Amino acid sequence: MAATGPVTSMTALARAALRAPLTRRARDELLFCLAGVLVGLAVLGVVVALLVPGTARSVVRAVAIVAVLLPLALATGLGRRLGAAHRRLAERLLGERVPPPALPRQGSLGRLGAGLRDSPSWRALAYTVLKAPIAVAEGYAVFLWAAGLANLTYPFWWGLFRNHPPGVRLSPVLAGTPFPGRVLHISTYPGTFLAFAAGVVMVLAAPWVTRAVVAADRRLLRGLLGPGRLAERVRDLEQTRALAVDDSATLLRQVERDLHDGAQIRLATLAMHLGMAKEKLGDDGDPLDVAGARELVDAAHQNAKDALAELRDLARGIHPPVLDNGLADALATLAAGSAIPVELATDIPVRPTPAIETIAYFCAAELLANAAKHSSASRIGLRATGRGDLLLLSVTDDGGGGADPGGSGLSGLAQRVSTVDGRLEVASPPGGPTRVVVELPLRA
Amino acid sequence: MRVVIAEDAALMRAGLIRLLEDRGHQVPAAVADGDALLAAVAEHRPDVAVVDIRMPPTHTDEGLRAALELRRRHPRTGVLVFSQYIETRYTAQLLEGGAAGVGYLLKDRVADVAEFADALARVAAGGTALDPEVVGQLLGAGRHARGLAGLTPREREVLALMAEGRSNAGIAAALVISGGAVEKHVASIFGKLGLPPSEGDNRRVLAVLRYLAS
Repeated sequence: MAATGPVTSMTALARAALRAPLTRRARDELLFCLAGVLVGLAVLGVVVALLVPGTARSVVRAVAIVAVLLPLALATGLGRRLGAAHRRLAERLLGERVPPPALPRQGSLGRLGAGLRDSPSWRALAYTVLKAPIAVAEGYAVFLWAAGLANLTYPFWWGLFRNHPPGVRLSPVLAGTPFPGRVLHISTYPGTFLAFAAGVVMVLAAPWVTRAVVAADRRLLRGLLGPGRLAERVRDLEQTRALAVDDSATLLRQVERDLHDGAQIRLATLAMHLGMAKEKLGDDGDPLDVAGARELVDAAHQNAKDALAELRDLARGIHPPVLDNGLADALATLAAGSAIPVELATDIPVRPTPAIETIAYFCAAELLANAAKHSSASRIGLRATGRGDLLLLSVTDDGGGGADPGGSGLSGLAQRVSTVDGRLEVASPPGGPTRVVVELPLRA
Repeated sequence: MRVVIAEDAALMRAGLIRLLEDRGHQVPAAVADGDALLAAVAEHRPDVAVVDIRMPPTHTDEGLRAALELRRRHPRTGVLVFSQYIETRYTAQLLEGGAAGVGYLLKDRVADVAEFADALARVAAGGTALDPEVVGQLLGAGRHARGLAGLTPREREVLALMAEGRSNAGIAAALVISGGAVEKHVASIFGKLGLPPSEGDNRRVLAVLRYLAS
């Protein structure tokens, strides 16, 4: 058994190598390279047309034309349209989905000013210009395919066109090699097999060369035609800020609702019961209805106790006081209160900021509650570790698995975590076990 | 007195039923949302309805909307709106169709059982019962600062109690003064504010509220 492993993997590799030229991916990437060559040629054509006849005057003229045309191109949004065309091509042929840059901001400087300051336009133009050198490499990939395929045909047509009687000398036929500068001179039938062999090598190598060239182009695409790192970050921050604002508004609303429907009602009813009891006792002299008054005072007493319990729960829900002693203590309290036994391990050498501790605490509380509610687990592992600048919180259970990361509970947690640039990962295959890891920065 | 209650908090609902029945009133229906309230009033034709503002399904102002609808459909049934907050906008909406048979009280007021029962009876009889908070907001709105500045502190107290919907006797009891003294204060207030003298408690409340809300 031990020996078959490497052997099967070798055969698999060989099969993959032989099959590579025939895949749809190879075809699409070849088409992308072809398109790239056309773009490169167009760019080259424009440059050459501008610089011919190559004198100093023509250079000056070229600079002048560019100085006039470039602002025009930017103001009319040509740059963005070019970028969009490149992106469409990459998506259609490579399946590479590059998110479009954010829409231009309307400035006070009008269309020209906005166009000149529009960085996505500039980047799209830069990509188009950089496409020229890349097109050379893409041209080479196309050449490998074309020449390789042509070489494969030599042995088949040689007999049809080259069956001259012996002694007749014909000039040799040229065949391509993987090195564009060098050619094979084929003058005999056996020689065609050399061309065939070269063709096999080229066709086998072509998909990989194509892939490498396309990979370089993909990097450039993502770097220059995407939203840009800063813009992406801003978009990210805008989203998480909106989430944070919504979250705190929802929280305040919830607190108001809890007070309104809970403690406030209990206290109002308590006051009512005491008021009724007072009436039954009368203003002075002997009480009018002692039994009724006693019963009402009992009810008021119960209401007061219930209101106290509700207020305590509510206060703890807003900020658990034990959190002031640190996350480890708070998690220990949480673990002790869980219906399912919790194995707790904490190692937090550097104390996180209060906001991070609070988020970590509420994540742990919700994840424990989730596990207790849905997993039918018999044990829960809760671990909090400080590592470098990060706080890692993991909750594992041996239950049935199948937790849905897109569900409202887990996605809500992920959103809350993302407001401080944290991450939440869920691994919960059907049948279990479930493991949720929350990664938070130590300071927010 | 026959009272229908609309209140979604079971605890408060039970307490109100007990309070009213203890005092010999009847509560033919106690419901928990606006639609049920309209149905119950149509069925039982009570003297007055006690209506919580925040009720299911949206927990915003369905009680108020039901109360306004009640006033439209059953103008002779008093409506006492009963809430944990006083909102100026709600006051204005409630008083839009007149102040007869309207009340707006904080839930806290049930603590003084006799006063609460008295206010409810006033509304049932076509009178008015506005919470001191409501009156405070009306007086504090500042639109009539100049007119009110001419009143003595005592007159201002009497005005506030009048706006709450109290009768002369009620005002006299609250301020521990004689009925005659109240009458003198009232006449003086109407004179200073330039209001036409009006007969009867209800018309007087209307005049005061119209002045404050104008």
